[in-house]
Amino acid sequence: MAMELDYDRSLYGVEHKAGPFDVTKDMVTAFSKSIGQEGDIYNDESAALRAGYKGIVAPPTMCTLLVRHVKLPDINLKFGKARFHAGQRVQSRSNITAGDSLTASSHLKEVYSKTGRSGTMVFIVWETTFANQTGEVVADVEESFAVRE
Amino acid sequence: MFFEDVELGDDIGPLEKVASDQDVIDFCSLWGPPTPNRFTDPDEAAKSKLSGPIVPGIMTMALMAQLFTEWADQDSLKDLNLVFRQSVPHNKPLIIAATVTDTRQEGVENLIDCDVVMTGQESERYVIGTATVSLPSRENK
Repeated sequence: MAMELDYDRSLYGVEHKAGPFDVTKDMVTAFSKSIGQEGDIYNDESAALRAGYKGIVAPPTMCTLLVRHVKLPDINLKFGKARFHAGQRVQSRSNITAGDSLTASSHLKEVYSKTGRSGTMVFIVWETTFANQTGEVVADVEESFAVRE
Repeated sequence: MFFEDVELGDDIGPLEKVASDQDVIDFCSLWGPPTPNRFTDPDEAAKSKLSGPIVPGIMTMALMAQLFTEWADQDSLKDLNLVFRQSVPHNKPLIIAATVTDTRQEGVENLIDCDVVMTGQESERYVIGTATVSLPSRENK
């Protein structure tokens, strides 16, 4: 039987917005370097332009850097203390390139509990949609945080 | 790589990556978590009962995405959905591999579904998850 969870349910349906975030050439090349991303389109602007992109290309999960810049409220969960990053999902809709300007909109997607051998954990899932300067959605990012008993 | 080249059960990878101390410092300087933190500071890691600084989840994801950008191309990775099972250490080989679990066509897209995993040298499973990759068809070449 699902556990009855006590938290601020009024947060459902509320969008928390942030940005614009300018995607610069320096940001993309520094991100690519730190993760060892190979490929000219991620590291060389002229190669990206030759390949038909608008600018140097951000690796597909780069928008996750920006998710934590959205100020999210405490959901006031009355459960546990230790919290950790349990999972992450990125759905890419379109390329992000240097020169883009992104806005973020986050909302509380779901809160649920699971009980296993190590006890009960509660999962808090936030979903963030990124759009570029033309309003085109470029990525959806889900972040899941687990709270232990 | 074309859709017709891929079959159920095919292996993708492995790709081996290492996140050095400096890589994680550089990554965190872009990302901007409050410092000191458990990703770059041994004392902060110890406070969290970790044996050493760990690789941030979003950096781990960026490393795993490279399996697909190297196998196919930038535009191929449509969905990467990961569960962080264990802390990922610095300076150790991280083995990333995937197995094709389904091939399907949805509208005009040719999609490959995969199970993906990041393991350590002792086959410890740090991260598991699924990915969906879109590939071109030879017919549309």
